[in-house]
Amino acid sequence: MRIRIKQDAAVALALLTAPFAAQAAEGTRIQVTGEIIDTWCYYSGVMGSPDAVVGSAHQACALWCSAGGIPVGLLAEDGTVYMILKVGEDTESAGGDTLLSLAAHTVEADGMLYERDGLNYLVVANVVSDMDITNKNHDDYGNVPSFSIPDPNK
Amino acid sequence: MKRLIACLALIASPLAAQDFSEGSEARSWNLYAEVPATFEAEVVDVLCALTGDCPDDCGEGKRQLGLVRAADGVLILPLKNSQPAFTGAAVELAPFCGQTVTVDGLMLDDPELGANNLYQLQTIQVSGADRIKANQWTKAWARNNPEAKGKGPWFRRDPRINGIIATEGYLGLGLDVDQAFIEENF
Repeated sequence: MRIRIKQDAAVALALLTAPFAAQAAEGTRIQVTGEIIDTWCYYSGVMGSPDAVVGSAHQACALWCSAGGIPVGLLAEDGTVYMILKVGEDTESAGGDTLLSLAAHTVEADGMLYERDGLNYLVVANVVSDMDITNKNHDDYGNVPSFSIPDPNK
Repeated sequence: MKRLIACLALIASPLAAQDFSEGSEARSWNLYAEVPATFEAEVVDVLCALTGDCPDDCGEGKRQLGLVRAADGVLILPLKNSQPAFTGAAVELAPFCGQTVTVDGLMLDDPELGANNLYQLQTIQVSGADRIKANQWTKAWARNNPEAKGKGPWFRRDPRINGIIATEGYLGLGLDVDQAFIEENF
């Protein structure tokens, strides 16, 4: 009896720990359209509401955060955020030139989606189209943060 | 089968109930969704972990690095280091690629917004060594950008950022749009 229970426990432990040891995950090919965003300001709320930390209002800060190596995301039209790990051959997802050049742009991306622990990770094979900045929200929110544009009077 | 389910429940319950805030010395950033969290984890290259594309050095801080938490195998994505300067965590974690470390910082927990397993990294500790503050990004930037030496924060002096702003403006819509906005708002 005791041996059987030990065997059951061993099987249970193996079932639980197997996913932890796994390395490469199964991806899914997707096409998605959305805005390239600064994920720290979006998720932390440090600069304001999610609607205020995207688009032209937040462009300068999005450049700072992208150059600073903060993960860059693609905010899809349905509100899903995809953490971008690679664009084409450029694997520099922490401060790289490709993602910096796309800050706040709306793009259509084709790539592989990997889901892990509640987050979506995207390996972009191809930026199908780059629509530049389409979310012109600075009339609604001003510049966010307010110091992103240096005061010309100082 | 019932016994197997019972064993799974017994083993899984401590993981689900684990409180990673216990023992944390993380400073509050007054973020609405912050939860202090300290835990042991392996430093991994996220692209490598998901796709098998694995350089030896985890990309030298140029790829996003993750933390696979020892207690439950969950992949935590650090978004931020400890500097209030628009700076990420990959440069801080890169020296510990493949190593097991103990980190302290703040989890961002907002299921409604989709904030799951996101982290602000404040300190890193390797077994037997002192805690290291995760604040090296600006020093690394200064080493890599000697021509940008000067007064003011790094993001006002960064050549790449200034190059984009010089042509596209602070709002990204062109210099004319910037000028009209500045005249109206300053």
